Amino acid sequence: MAIKGFKSEIYVPITPPPVWAPVTKKLSEMNVSLVTAAGVHLKKDKPFNLAGDTSYRLIPSETPVEELMVSHGGYDNGDVNKDINCMFPIDRLRELADEGFIKGVSPVLVGTMGGGGNQHVFTDETGPKIAEILKEEKTDAVVLTAGRGTCHRTAVIVQRAIEEAGIPTIMIAALPPVCSQNGTPRAVAPLVPMGANAGEPNNKEMQTNILRDTLEQLVEIDQAGKIVPLPYEYHANI
Amino acid sequence: MSLSKEKIEKIKDKVAFTCCRFEAGKTIDESVLEDPALLPDFVDSGLIVVPDNVLKVREVIGAKLKVTVDALTPLTTDNVENIVSSSEPEKVEENVASVNQQVETQQVAFQTQPQMVTSAVQSNGMVNINIGKGENISISFPAGGGVSTPQPIYNEPITVEGKTSPTASQTVEQETVIRELKKEYIKVDKVELGTNTKLENGVLTLNKSLAKKAIARGNGIVKKFEYEVITEKDYGKVIDTIMDIQPIATKVEGELGQGVTRVLDKVVIMLTGIDGNKKQIGEFGSSEGEIDRNVMWGRPGAPDKGDIFIRCHVVIEANAGMERPGPLAAHMAADVIAQEIRDELKKATSVTVAKTEEFKHTRRPGKPKVCVLKEIMGQGAMHDNLILPVDPVGTVGAVPNVDLGNLPIAISPLELLDGGVHALTCIGPASKETSRHYFREPLVIRALSDPEIDFVGLVLVGSPQVNNEKFYVSKRVGMLFEYIKPDGVIITTEGFGNNHIDFAEHHRMIGQRDIKVVGMTYSAQQGGLVVGNEYMYAMVDLNKAQQGIENEILSNNTLSPEDAIRAVEMLKSIMAGNEIEEAERRWDPSVKLKNVKTIEDALGEKIVLELNEQSLEKSKKRREIYEKE
Repeated sequence: MAIKGFKSEIYVPITPPPVWAPVTKKLSEMNVSLVTAAGVHLKKDKPFNLAGDTSYRLIPSETPVEELMVSHGGYDNGDVNKDINCMFPIDRLRELADEGFIKGVSPVLVGTMGGGGNQHVFTDETGPKIAEILKEEKTDAVVLTAGRGTCHRTAVIVQRAIEEAGIPTIMIAALPPVCSQNGTPRAVAPLVPMGANAGEPNNKEMQTNILRDTLEQLVEIDQAGKIVPLPYEYHANI
Repeated sequence: MSLSKEKIEKIKDKVAFTCCRFEAGKTIDESVLEDPALLPDFVDSGLIVVPDNVLKVREVIGAKLKVTVDALTPLTTDNVENIVSSSEPEKVEENVASVNQQVETQQVAFQTQPQMVTSAVQSNGMVNINIGKGENISISFPAGGGVSTPQPIYNEPITVEGKTSPTASQTVEQETVIRELKKEYIKVDKVELGTNTKLENGVLTLNKSLAKKAIARGNGIVKKFEYEVITEKDYGKVIDTIMDIQPIATKVEGELGQGVTRVLDKVVIMLTGIDGNKKQIGEFGSSEGEIDRNVMWGRPGAPDKGDIFIRCHVVIEANAGMERPGPLAAHMAADVIAQEIRDELKKATSVTVAKTEEFKHTRRPGKPKVCVLKEIMGQGAMHDNLILPVDPVGTVGAVPNVDLGNLPIAISPLELLDGGVHALTCIGPASKETSRHYFREPLVIRALSDPEIDFVGLVLVGSPQVNNEKFYVSKRVGMLFEYIKPDGVIITTEGFGNNHIDFAEHHRMIGQRDIKVVGMTYSAQQGGLVVGNEYMYAMVDLNKAQQGIENEILSNNTLSPEDAIRAVEMLKSIMAGNEIEEAERRWDPSVKLKNVKTIEDALGEKIVLELNEQSLEKSKKRREIYEKE
């Protein structure tokens, strides 16, 4: 007889199939790019639509931080307005290139808004397009950050697209459960609030350490879906 | 994020949150709402709070935003106007109920007229029913019980050909016994060490000078080998971690999986080991300490109270415990002892049979076709298994799973129960399956004995170390079951962690071929799934530990008869078209108890639940780590 009324005994997070681009070079031989779903763009660019925007902005690698800004309604902009490196650690990345930890900064970095944006467009169009651009620029690895919940989800969609194009990636997550559920290939999770994934604003040492550890984990993580906690803690006073 | 119309129908009773920022005056449709499946993660992250007055999806569709709202705003009476009244949705629900009624009727009809519904099931997984008479109503809903979401990755047309329920002519087909296995348990009153190995009049004498021979079989890695006899009065003895529990058995008629097997009754080999640095050979925990505080008596893979242990203890090369040759060498050495006894057992004449077990693999044409897929380890080190030895749980003739590429292997249920797998698996002692577990596998025994199913057979599949290989293997699993075309599959895995990646993928590969799937694993608190998919809707948790953790008590959280009953009944339920209620987001032991009660009420039988570690005196680790006083 078929009995009715059973309940499943194990919670199952619904995760898309993993994607995985293997790391094939040493860090010192890699050109690294940043991709963020935190609304970063050039001041001269058109701002993102805060109600959900699936477009992206390209940021040349030599851009001084004074020429960058954030258009994002989803998270508290206090920290990022003090120091954009706390979400978009472009200065730290250039410093790591200068000291030879990585070969260089990829010519093009990418900003999206991510929050609330249509997932299908990100999956089918924006993500693959960003991946294509990074591929053309011979990017060897990508570090990602994201604003709040839906932005973390968007960032993972873009991350997966880049990974599918064969470029290994790693996400610096403030919300690791969202990354996990959406199928991040690799991520690290410092103890940071939303809006300062890459470390406390104007704390160069913390930002450098987080970015350095992140890049090391890019090489070390051995299977898709792994999220490694990083031992850095920052509480925002907002 | 935009949700599809089909999705909206499924989530109509879930809470409504916006996915993006929307301006006041916007009419709410599917494009406005966030997928409710994602909301619990946002709650966990502290991103959102679900207020008491939040509206349901069905209440807001068609309503209007009173004010401009940001992404992930809960929709309530404060920000939504023209809310859809509750009377109408109820009516809709009635309609839905009556549609379901019709579907059930259709399914009954389908048993005798399969083609009717075959034509209605589209390749996109939707069932479209046209009711031509009257109002000319068209109804669409997802096929497959409505538990899974659409978007099948498997894009081949799904047909139901060959999977029809019995027709009148089929039901009278004869049941056929395709294989039989008899296990004769030979009475042993005493085991002692002596000059020669012999089994006479209930006394097993074991040659005490085999250590050198055992070390010689240890590939140069086994540095020390000792063996001793432990009886019930010495269960308090402190030993090193248990690497395996093995029955001692040999074929006396036929080959593995059929004929007659002799088994020593209430005597087992217990393999324990450390490396040259006195490190326990175990990756995720180890069961060293007093035997009676670290063993969950009576589990299929554990010793039974009263058993006599022939304890083989190995010391292997320092730091070899986590490399493939180390644990393998330990098993090879111990098998010298086992083989010595097997040889004697085979020829002994003055023996008494204490009990007999008979297993029949019966095919039952016309009943729902069921397979069991057991995921076992194949990652080198102690995560490996030796497949299909010549003698039960032997090593000769067996091939390491890792060398077989971890690919799915069709194995007769009786081959498994006849010791077809020699387990090298002892990573987390509480959730790992030992050799004795396979020899007494409760799910296979349950499936063999259930007259309501046609148990097609058993497939073993390895769990490789490398991520890409996991998917390579899983694709073969999918293809295999596409050919077998069962109605339902129960998938089991031992342990937890990286093997859940394969476990989840097997569900997808089988589930997307329109085959019902029940999954069994230890999960609870510590083994929570890291990945998942929509085909993992009917899950059985093997946890028994009070805290839901791996507490290093041998076999505590392994598949037991009570779990086998739930899994088989759950599969029969979904194969009949019943739905399974969604799992709680967090481990709740009462869910299992409720399922047990559901079965007890329906069958009018009492299900015996296993004791857990609370029935034992606390081990050192429990006192110091897990259950501090």
